[in-house]
Amino acid sequence: MLRAIRPKGKTIFLYLLAPMIWYLFAVFVPLITALYYSFFEWKGGPKKTFDGLVNFQHLVQDTVFWQSFGHNLYLVAICIIGQIGIAFVLVLMINSRLVKLKGIHRTFGFFPSTISAVCVGLIWKMIYDNKRGLLNWFLNVIGQGDKTQVWLNNTEKVMLFVAIPLVWQFIGYYMVILLSAISSVDAEIFEVAELDGANAFQRAIYIVLPLIKNTLLVCITLCVSGNMKAFDHIYSMTEGGPGYSSMVMAMYGYKVSFQEMNLGYGSAVSVGIFITSLAVILAVQKLINIYTKDKGVE
Amino acid sequence: MAFNPDDIAGKKDTTAGEKAKKGLIGFILNFILVIFSAICIFPLIWMFYSSLKLKRQFNADIMGLPADPSWSNYIKVMTNKDYHIWESMISSGRTTIISLIFIVVFGFIVGYILSRCNFKGNRIVYYIFLMGMLIPTHSLLVPIYVVFSKAGLANKWFTLPIPYVAFALPIAIFLMEGYMKGIPTELEEAAAIDGSSFSRTLFSIILPVAKPILVTIAIIQTFSCWNEFSFALVLIKDVRIQTVPLAMTMFKGQFASDYPKQMAAMLLTMSPILVMYFIFSKEIIKGMVAGAVKG
Repeated sequence: MLRAIRPKGKTIFLYLLAPMIWYLFAVFVPLITALYYSFFEWKGGPKKTFDGLVNFQHLVQDTVFWQSFGHNLYLVAICIIGQIGIAFVLVLMINSRLVKLKGIHRTFGFFPSTISAVCVGLIWKMIYDNKRGLLNWFLNVIGQGDKTQVWLNNTEKVMLFVAIPLVWQFIGYYMVILLSAISSVDAEIFEVAELDGANAFQRAIYIVLPLIKNTLLVCITLCVSGNMKAFDHIYSMTEGGPGYSSMVMAMYGYKVSFQEMNLGYGSAVSVGIFITSLAVILAVQKLINIYTKDKGVE
Repeated sequence: MAFNPDDIAGKKDTTAGEKAKKGLIGFILNFILVIFSAICIFPLIWMFYSSLKLKRQFNADIMGLPADPSWSNYIKVMTNKDYHIWESMISSGRTTIISLIFIVVFGFIVGYILSRCNFKGNRIVYYIFLMGMLIPTHSLLVPIYVVFSKAGLANKWFTLPIPYVAFALPIAIFLMEGYMKGIPTELEEAAAIDGSSFSRTLFSIILPVAKPILVTIAIIQTFSCWNEFSFALVLIKDVRIQTVPLAMTMFKGQFASDYPKQMAAMLLTMSPILVMYFIFSKEIIKGMVAGAVKG
């Protein structure tokens, strides 16, 4: 803390006032409002009736909500494996001296993460299209015409199909993050390891992995919080359908509140989203802390 | 044998067999990475040349290059007032710029005060903002609509910067706060001895020093403000002030069958981001990575 200049309390107060009010108004006021309205039956009109915990009883038994929560967890799992896993393998490859055009791979790989999730959803909707889609076109070209289908209508696999665009969008993002972590490691370490006869797999597991572990954990945290709030892709591809088979929590809250105009229950769903997402994020951070402590890494 | 068979200094007796092996590995590695890059960029290229086709041509052959490329889709999208393309780009631009100004200014001031000023409640303010990084913002979608429509703040040209600034403040503040930790306090002490006031020190001495981190903050937030969708969806109903992602979802409904036109509209509204990205990709990637890792 600075001693030489001690601004008056009033100056500090004045500087902090606007940002604090702005922030509290847009973040904490809605949170409290959601909690308040979740005790009411309210369809958006002027009439609302207090009905205590009825909304929450309903929420706890609401299979669609819990199914959506499950879908969020599914997305988290797929994206940790798909995005960070593939990104890690690509990083090992791109780190080799035999690889040319590293800058291009970095620029092109990172590119999808800069465009809006809505556009990504719309582009992939075109790719999945059954009549004019790239995927079915490709299957026909390679002589697998019988495998073509209306991809996003497949109730059983639709979650996988909506997860693929997400994975596609962020592989390059995590690749670049991991690459920047690895480039801060002294290249000599890899050379010495190779001289000592470590093969590529051993080097990946015993040298690269521990060195970039902290960055890897940051990536996992980002991936978890990013996928708990999945909404834009889903909205532009399936709107949670067919039925509820690709419904995620944020989409369900939106549907209940704005398509069924059930704002009271929608508020309860929002509280549910808040609690479940926070629980998952905190649990993951706790796990990470325990894991890093056990291994003696600060 | 190896993912990473680097040349080792002094190892000159490589046999022909090893050389061939190395060549093969190099070929495989390069091949896989080229495929990866191609998969990332291909949809963009496909969209571009397809947007130069007419609907009829596209439906007949979705993959082929346009036989006689024409800009007619772009002209239609730009000239038809019902599509609101220009209005959506102006709205997105205005929202992004207003948000950026407040995020950078507030992040700068609050981040600086929290890192350098010893006052009662410093830690309380710090933790209130820290909490913001944990709060799952998507749970605010419904309640923010309720609060804003009650307060008469919904569906106005200045609506969207309110949540965008609020949600971006925690990360901006922490980047700024962390950055100040690496700056020695001598600078401000010297300024104070010379009789510079707090505000003057803040804006004429600290501001230039903090420029790199403020640029990083601005880069990250440009993309997230331009691309944000869910809060725009619930807060904006007027087509004249809708942002780009909203306009795109409307477009999808209107032209479900006219893919080339939809592609033209998407590329047009992506163009500011695309141009910026491909010109400044190095700086942008660096900024985004720094923001992600430190946040």
